Amino acid sequence: MAAEPLVRVDNLSVTLAGRGGQGGTRPVLSDISFDVAPRSVLGIIGESGSGKTVLSNALVNWVQAPLNIASGHIFYGGRDLLALPETEMAKLRGREIAYIGANPTVALDPTVPVGRQIVEKLMEVEPGIARAAARRRVIETLDAVRIPSAGRRFDEYPFQFSGGMMQRAMIVDALVSNPKLLVADNITQPLDVTVAAQIIRLLRDLQNDFETAVVFISSALGVVSDIADDVLVINAGRIVERQPAGALTRAPEHAYTRALIEKVPRLWTGAQTPAASHAADVVLEVRDVERTYVVPDRTTLFGENRVRAVRGVSFDVRRGESFGLIGESGCGKSTLSRLLSSIEPPDKGAIRVGGQDIAGLRGKPLLEMRRRFQLLLQDPYNAIAAHASIGRTIEEPLRIHGLASGAALKARVRDVMAEVGLPADLYDSLPVGLSAGQRQRVNIARALALEPSLMILDETLSALDQVEQARLLALFETLQQKHGITYLYISHDLAMVRRVCARIGVMYLGRIVELADNAAIFENPRHPYTRALLSSVLTVEPKPFLPETYLLEGEPPDPIHIPQGCSFRSRCPFAFDRCAREDPALVFDGAGAAAACHLADGQLPQAAPLIAAGGHPIPPAN
Amino acid sequence: MAFAIEFFLRRLSQGLLIVLLVAFVIFTLLRVAPGDPIRIILGPMATATAMEETAQKLGLRDPIPVQFGRFVLDVAQGDFGRSFIRGKQGGASGGSQDGAMDMADRAPVMGLIATALPYTLLLAGLGLVFSFLIAVPIGLAAGLNAGRWQQKLGLYVSSLFVSLPNIWVGVVLIYLLSAKSGLLPAIGYRNFAYAIIPAIVVAVEMSPVLIRAIAVSIASNVQEAYFDIGQVRGIGRNRMIYRHVLRNAAVPLLNVFGAQMIGMLLGGLFVVEYIFSFPGIGLLTINAVFQRDFPIIQAVAILASAVLVLINILVDFASTTIDRRLKF
Repeated sequence: MAAEPLVRVDNLSVTLAGRGGQGGTRPVLSDISFDVAPRSVLGIIGESGSGKTVLSNALVNWVQAPLNIASGHIFYGGRDLLALPETEMAKLRGREIAYIGANPTVALDPTVPVGRQIVEKLMEVEPGIARAAARRRVIETLDAVRIPSAGRRFDEYPFQFSGGMMQRAMIVDALVSNPKLLVADNITQPLDVTVAAQIIRLLRDLQNDFETAVVFISSALGVVSDIADDVLVINAGRIVERQPAGALTRAPEHAYTRALIEKVPRLWTGAQTPAASHAADVVLEVRDVERTYVVPDRTTLFGENRVRAVRGVSFDVRRGESFGLIGESGCGKSTLSRLLSSIEPPDKGAIRVGGQDIAGLRGKPLLEMRRRFQLLLQDPYNAIAAHASIGRTIEEPLRIHGLASGAALKARVRDVMAEVGLPADLYDSLPVGLSAGQRQRVNIARALALEPSLMILDETLSALDQVEQARLLALFETLQQKHGITYLYISHDLAMVRRVCARIGVMYLGRIVELADNAAIFENPRHPYTRALLSSVLTVEPKPFLPETYLLEGEPPDPIHIPQGCSFRSRCPFAFDRCAREDPALVFDGAGAAAACHLADGQLPQAAPLIAAGGHPIPPAN
Repeated sequence: MAFAIEFFLRRLSQGLLIVLLVAFVIFTLLRVAPGDPIRIILGPMATATAMEETAQKLGLRDPIPVQFGRFVLDVAQGDFGRSFIRGKQGGASGGSQDGAMDMADRAPVMGLIATALPYTLLLAGLGLVFSFLIAVPIGLAAGLNAGRWQQKLGLYVSSLFVSLPNIWVGVVLIYLLSAKSGLLPAIGYRNFAYAIIPAIVVAVEMSPVLIRAIAVSIASNVQEAYFDIGQVRGIGRNRMIYRHVLRNAAVPLLNVFGAQMIGMLLGGLFVVEYIFSFPGIGLLTINAVFQRDFPIIQAVAILASAVLVLINILVDFASTTIDRRLKF
């Protein structure tokens, strides 16, 4: 380090007290020492449970019971933050040391407009400033983070902000007082890839303009190596390695770092992909399905807004195949999964399972049909009744459908438990204390008990860490081979979809804009939106689609005000005048691939060669 | 603005429907209940012909829906009918034995209620003030100091108060503050001082609910992420409490107030007014019940349901104004 460091962490150790003061303590962080140079970006990477978040809290001296700082110092401007009285520390927080957390949607008071809360903070840390001046500065900074129509957004409430917009607002909140140090704890974790990529680029620009030093903490190596100058690797509460970002991915020194890099899924170089299946018959047939929600509009008398969540979706899923649906949040994926599992009927269109339309089914035929397809959701906690034993939970569908009773019922439950890898002695225990992965196994067992032919996996694995995710994916594959189950994956995790789905539909604003086989989607996508999604993936490998060419600005339009013509044109870097007039249809080519785009094949830029990083693709002729 | 207009148009029309429904149920129940009102009006000595004549004249032999329709039309013009028992000059004139009776010299229900209402409003208002004086400090301290002695204090005080029957509290307070020490008057009403002891009884009954509601809603807001993050953002703890926690805690509190406390208050007032012979709506109604004076009972019941509906509309409006996520 050339200059005097801004922050110097010296032998920091944090412990977690045992329950009720009993049972001693457990170390969470041990002997952490590092410097942060002014105006630099220090990345900190570690898996969940490595102590990253505790470290980020310690940097703003916000470590609360049962955590306890056992020893060490954090020097800032010559003073030890950990020894400062709370009143002195409170003066630094927000003013010189700012913090942004992982979940922006709960960071502000939900009942006060966003802008007002940022002004409140600014006036608190800069007591001299006049309200009008504070307001002006906040709006300017909202502009700087490219929040569209900042003046109007100033008066909107947190629930009217999407996750990405809210994270921008939190960046404004942090930077508006010109802090010297910004601690960013996993700030891209809950965001869509496209939005996360925008936030990273934005933070890098702002960091230059505001001359702020950033400590950037994340569990995604791709994200950290993209933004940081130096990267610090932390494992089980200890620093294992520190290197400049480029050197770390090229030549990791520590075995743990190598393992970490190894675990990052690859989408192109050496990607695992499933074999394309062309054989079997169509098991699920979706035709022109539409769903519109009517919501009250507060601004006009008896006004209503029509939210067009799903606008004419058609696709087929063949028996024994894995079909993937991808897209940003708000694209209608989850509404579609509700329609497919007949939680609610579509307004228009048909959903045929084995030739029979399920849209109009009621009563007993519906129950019969439901047996054949099962839905697995993201949250494994709320999907299981806390008061029922695990055996009882898995039995329930068998009882409802009257498929087994007595000893046969118990035997069947034990079979499926064994099949999903749940130990048999859990039969009589309650779900309390089960890990997220085990809970998800209970859900899978419950679905599997009915021997379904189709399973809809709506972000089923998103809440799990990578190790558990890989195990469950392997389980799904085994079950598929054994029982010929068809899967419909609904996910925003492109790496997972790349690994398991033979056929993939890309959704945008309630429509499928591209539908093709795995290889075609990832290697030769024909819709600019698909390319934009792929360009925003933060990986440690070279990408065929570069953000410079495809990165999207802003977020999808809201599904109330859908643009005329092609709905993607408002964000498409290649839009031309025909796109505003004509809505492109999803046209299939000979090979069974389809894209809804006026740009014919070959009019999009060439994919970048995967080895060289230099060559920029040529802009399109239009 | 559009929102407020739509809100009130929608909710007031719904509210009117609810009150009408409640009115119909009360009206019908009173008419199918045993006991012939004519016998009450005319007294035990009236002849069968006189009774039949009066019943015809009062329309009591018409089908119930017809009677109800007539009643609603009258109410719409502000006329809740006349008491069966009470004379215009006060005092009961029921049981006059001279054959057919003249309803014109019975007191109009509206007038009786209008006379009693101010007393009840005074007692209710004072009772609410007392219960807030007790509950706000205790509840606030309990909510902000979860796990410490303040929380225990809140729990103990509310447990104690909730287990005291208001009749017993009333009698004990009369004995201690009035009969024994002569500090305050207790029975009837001559001036403001007469309202104090009954108001304390009302407050003892209401405050446990309020303490619990305040403590829980404050504590749950303090546990919200925005409270801690606000302090990390650089906003002081006191300001977070004062500007954000109190404001957001008001929403569940308003709902408890509208849904639970107003109902409790109405019920509590009946008993308290009766114990203290306090000349409000409660006493009027209880006497009417003993005398089977149906017009008064039904008028009070219908007005009470209207008040309840109206207060809940206001509470919901206040809640949606504070928290814009709420829908109606």
